Amino acid sequence: MQVRNGYPCGLSRREAIWEMGGGFAGVALAGLLQRDGFQRATAAEPVNSFTAKPPHLPTKVTSCIFLLMNGAPSQVDTFDPKPALEKYAGMPLPPEKEFINSGGRAMGLLTPACRPFERCGESGLPISGFFPHLKRHADKLAVIRSCHTDTHAHGSALVQMNTGKPIIGRPSLGSWVVYGLGTENQDMPGYVVMLDKRGGPIGGQPNWSSGFMPAGYQGTLFRPTGNPILDLASPEPLGRAGQRQQLDLLAKLNEEHMRARPGGEELAARAASYELAFRMQAEAPDAVDLSQETAAMRAAYGVDQEPTAEFGRNCLIARRLVERGVRFVQLYSGGGHLEETWDAHESVEKNHGQHAGETDQPIAALLTDLEQRGLLESTLVVWGGEFGRMPFSEGTGKPGRNHNPYGFTMWMAGGGVKGGTAYGATDEFGFAAVDNRVHVHDIHATILHLMGLDHTRLTWFHQGRDERLTDVYGTPVLDIVA
Amino acid sequence: MGVFACLGSRASSGVVSSRCYKLVPLVLTVAWAAHACSRLSAAGAEPGGSPPETAEAARREESGAAVDFEATVAGVLVRRCVECHAGSDAEGELDLTTAAGLAAGGASGPVIVPHDVTSSFLLERVAAGEMPPEKNGASQALPAEELAALRGWVAAGAPWPEGRVLDLYEQTNELRAGRDWWSLQPLAEQPPPAGDAANPIDRFLNPRLAEVSLAAAPEADRRTLLRRLSFDLIGLPPSPAEMEAFLADASPDAYERQVDRLLASPHFGERQARHWLDVARFAETNGYERDAEKPGAWRYRDWVVQAFNSDLPFDEFLTDQLAGDEVADRDEASVVATGFLRVGTWDDEPNDDLGYRYERLEDLVHVTSTAFLGLTFKCARCHDHKFDAVLQEDYYRMAAAFWPGPITARDRALMGGPSAEELGYAVLGWTDITTTPEPLRLLASGDPHRPRQEVAAGTFSGVPASFHQFAPPAADANTTGRRRQLAAWIASDDNPLTPRVIVNRLWQHHFGEGLCRDPDNLGFNGPLPTHPALLDWLARDLIRGGWHLKRLHRLMVTSDAYRRASVHPDPAAVHMADPDNHLLSHARRRRLDAESLRDAMLAVSGELDRRLGGESFRQPISSEALEGLSMKGGAYTPSPPEDCLRRSLYMFSKRGLIVPMMTTFDQCDTTMPTGRRDVSIVPTQALTLLNNQWVGERAAAFAASLHEQSPTEAHQAVADDRERLTRAWWRAVGRPPTEPERAASEAYLQLASDSATGEPSVAWQSLCLVLFNTNEFLFID
Repeated sequence: MQVRNGYPCGLSRREAIWEMGGGFAGVALAGLLQRDGFQRATAAEPVNSFTAKPPHLPTKVTSCIFLLMNGAPSQVDTFDPKPALEKYAGMPLPPEKEFINSGGRAMGLLTPACRPFERCGESGLPISGFFPHLKRHADKLAVIRSCHTDTHAHGSALVQMNTGKPIIGRPSLGSWVVYGLGTENQDMPGYVVMLDKRGGPIGGQPNWSSGFMPAGYQGTLFRPTGNPILDLASPEPLGRAGQRQQLDLLAKLNEEHMRARPGGEELAARAASYELAFRMQAEAPDAVDLSQETAAMRAAYGVDQEPTAEFGRNCLIARRLVERGVRFVQLYSGGGHLEETWDAHESVEKNHGQHAGETDQPIAALLTDLEQRGLLESTLVVWGGEFGRMPFSEGTGKPGRNHNPYGFTMWMAGGGVKGGTAYGATDEFGFAAVDNRVHVHDIHATILHLMGLDHTRLTWFHQGRDERLTDVYGTPVLDIVA
Repeated sequence: MGVFACLGSRASSGVVSSRCYKLVPLVLTVAWAAHACSRLSAAGAEPGGSPPETAEAARREESGAAVDFEATVAGVLVRRCVECHAGSDAEGELDLTTAAGLAAGGASGPVIVPHDVTSSFLLERVAAGEMPPEKNGASQALPAEELAALRGWVAAGAPWPEGRVLDLYEQTNELRAGRDWWSLQPLAEQPPPAGDAANPIDRFLNPRLAEVSLAAAPEADRRTLLRRLSFDLIGLPPSPAEMEAFLADASPDAYERQVDRLLASPHFGERQARHWLDVARFAETNGYERDAEKPGAWRYRDWVVQAFNSDLPFDEFLTDQLAGDEVADRDEASVVATGFLRVGTWDDEPNDDLGYRYERLEDLVHVTSTAFLGLTFKCARCHDHKFDAVLQEDYYRMAAAFWPGPITARDRALMGGPSAEELGYAVLGWTDITTTPEPLRLLASGDPHRPRQEVAAGTFSGVPASFHQFAPPAADANTTGRRRQLAAWIASDDNPLTPRVIVNRLWQHHFGEGLCRDPDNLGFNGPLPTHPALLDWLARDLIRGGWHLKRLHRLMVTSDAYRRASVHPDPAAVHMADPDNHLLSHARRRRLDAESLRDAMLAVSGELDRRLGGESFRQPISSEALEGLSMKGGAYTPSPPEDCLRRSLYMFSKRGLIVPMMTTFDQCDTTMPTGRRDVSIVPTQALTLLNNQWVGERAAAFAASLHEQSPTEAHQAVADDRERLTRAWWRAVGRPPTEPERAASEAYLQLASDSATGEPSVAWQSLCLVLFNTNEFLFID
């Protein structure tokens, strides 16, 4: 006898897909589908439904803003103070500390933080002089000092930070979140990525890919001015009125076609998608129209001044997206390579001085703004790079630091996070995570947990296996959950 | 938390499996497939001995048990326990596959006290719902009757028939497939049922419709038929001239002659290659940090096109791709075919050299097992497969075929392949770089730092009739011959998977869904075939016909089932009897895939460059879209415009930069094999087709061509607006416009020309763009 149980949860694959919902703002098919059971199977079956879904766990968090510090900030220069580096300055790392020397760079001597730390807020959380503005939010931050990852190369580490594994081809965190929770605003993408003007992250598109999930779940690149989405605007000389005329003609032709094909739900869905697109054409540019913001607000984010203009603008847009029900927003600080990113091989002071200078005020303004609008409860803010940096320099007179996957720092703030917390620890040099180690899988499990998703239950059936963001690993760091 | 049994984080029974194959003669293994294992071992391996009932009774007597171990306990232990509690690597050091293992207990001591239900640790854990552990957060607590069975068994002294070894895969159950799983069984010999239909396919299909009293839809009209056939076979719409010729052809074999014309078209190979390249996870760059170009990857693509066009038998097709460097008539083309093993992702900066090798093996095993066997071998890298009868050793047996190849980290310039000297040709290909590789060892939990026993290259134990280890190479051989032997087994008549898998893929391409709806997974988690006898008959027919695919295509598209209308005259009856159209009472409507859509726009605009083969062109990508690209691998430079009007098959496929227009229409990711693309409907598709510059240029060319006199155009009379509309419809959808369509279009042209910025040419361009956006253009009935 051959007994089988079909797909996980007893659903057929198609039902499973329809049931899960989520993804890019798309066709609101719920009504159509409910009318007649699920859409009948065809090879052309559309596989996205976009209604917001209830979370697995109770949570107030509805959105996440992930601030990805591309290039990898140095933990010992930012949030993980190491007095021992003062003490042992100029000495080599003890020989028993084994590591892969990424890129075969020169190995210098132990080097203290280049800016002093200050204990901030009531919690006394130490924050480096690179972040004068963020200091006032110390009591909102849960700093995880014991992060570690599997790879020392930017490309694979970025892909791992975004997708869980250092190999390309898996869905990114944002895809999993919109798959799990759907999206609140059908006229906007559910998962938005804003890159640094200097370029995309190494590895490119796989960093916001939907991997083996349908393309509808992938991140939508959003540009900070004008028409934020590719091909959003109708080309001149047509304009919006001309586009409306096109859509009206199209609707007539499609109607004729559908009349001869009763029951063609996929045809109706596709016809309806044009009206959604038309609404998105109005909604998306509105989200990036910062002229609607007060001068004071723009000033707080540093929108009209250097070096904060670009990241300030992106942070302000991120708030506007969250207000509009966008589920997952990822902002990149740093683009391209080496010193255009946080990849401080030459000089930490110079590099981090530049990149922290670009981002500190905007990030602090974002936290203030979210709080004042009552959005901080429902918005999880995550900060971090793809790995950390070494406690030693790259040689005498070379004050840069090489890649370090063995220990680094991330922080979270906002929705559900216990502020003023320092969790986990690296060794006395800040070289490797030793106490309460937190792998990238654990970071992901924590983010999902805070958003109300159980990372063990958030599965996607692919090629014979229930795939998870966290594969077979991951434990949420409950100690930072309020 | 940390480890979840459900997703398998540990090797569970590597040692059990090795015992099976080292100590038990092959004939016994075969018998296991028929679920006779317990009988044979218990009866001292006497095949053909007493009938099951007698043996069963005898054993019951022997054991003196008051409970029937086989009927009540064995199944529970196999289903619930031995996935983890088996072999020397057993979870908690508890092996529940043998009497001795049970008696020995686990790390925490004895697990049962015979006759004592209250003191048995095993029962305690199970009753508490702690065993089996929860899965994806859901309790796996045993149903009451199974717990009762275990209790009764312990109460009776926990009898265990002598010599009985439990095997995870001894029989299919509700949790996993056993060796009796349908796709592992030999191909059925059933001839087509009797019937009136000329095509054997219909003789299989029609009785099933009759069973549910569902009438088939009538044949589709000719226009629909030719459009469907043309997109299916060559991926392009019929030209107005081709359409008119077919409509005017009154001969009885008019349709069949269209089939033959299209099968003979050089574009046939292009269309079929597109499907195969998805399965082969083909792209022309490495992915990862630099995403460097793989030089000459396009030659593999051209080889595939040529193979389909020349109707290369599928057994040779697969052999060349796995072992074209090892075949007797090896030549440059056959070596180019081994590009199959090179076109996947490749990490040029591996984290550690050891892990790198095993990642590469996984890619090669996964693409090979998925493409040809329709099974997910890669799941067995770390442990015996959770759902199918694929032992962890089977994974390594296949991996061993690739082990002598260039899978260690070497000079980055070689891109993970052999040097031209090693390969014998300066092409992107594969060969062994040693004939004496170190032994490949199975890895506990797939962890390179936990090597276990050596595994010799060999075939898949799940097909026991042909199970064998590969012969060692001759002393003077240049390669190990392992891949050639792997290919020979994959293509052998004894392996039922390969013909089923390729037949199912072809069926899916023509009918919209496979007979088995997941073409890449004929295992437990794939849907069962809707028409198993038809699948097997077609598989046998493929072999009988010398593995030629064109005759199979022809057979499928000349069936009545293929030719049915997509609208059923009695939708209520369909809804009641077969809402998912498993029985093919009518045709499935399908949306064009990304490539066909782009190609159709070019064909309709009259711009399509039909040159075959050669280097890929780089589609222009807007600067906004390029912002997402890291330039570490060098800037992206589009090809000159005149090269960008070729078919989408020839579009340069860069892993780190997927052309937005293509991915928007569900072009698949190229990291892993894809036998079936998703089809989504999202507003960004509407935005692309309305506003993308490239699409606008096609609409402009389409509009311009309507204003030209074309000597080949069927409708070339007076080029007034009325005539232009007729032409436009013929080109775009193969028919003249209806009066309402004509009226709406004329009104639109007027409106668009009247608007402030409007002028006639812009209005026509806009109208042509709307035609590209219609459902009729995008969907094939």
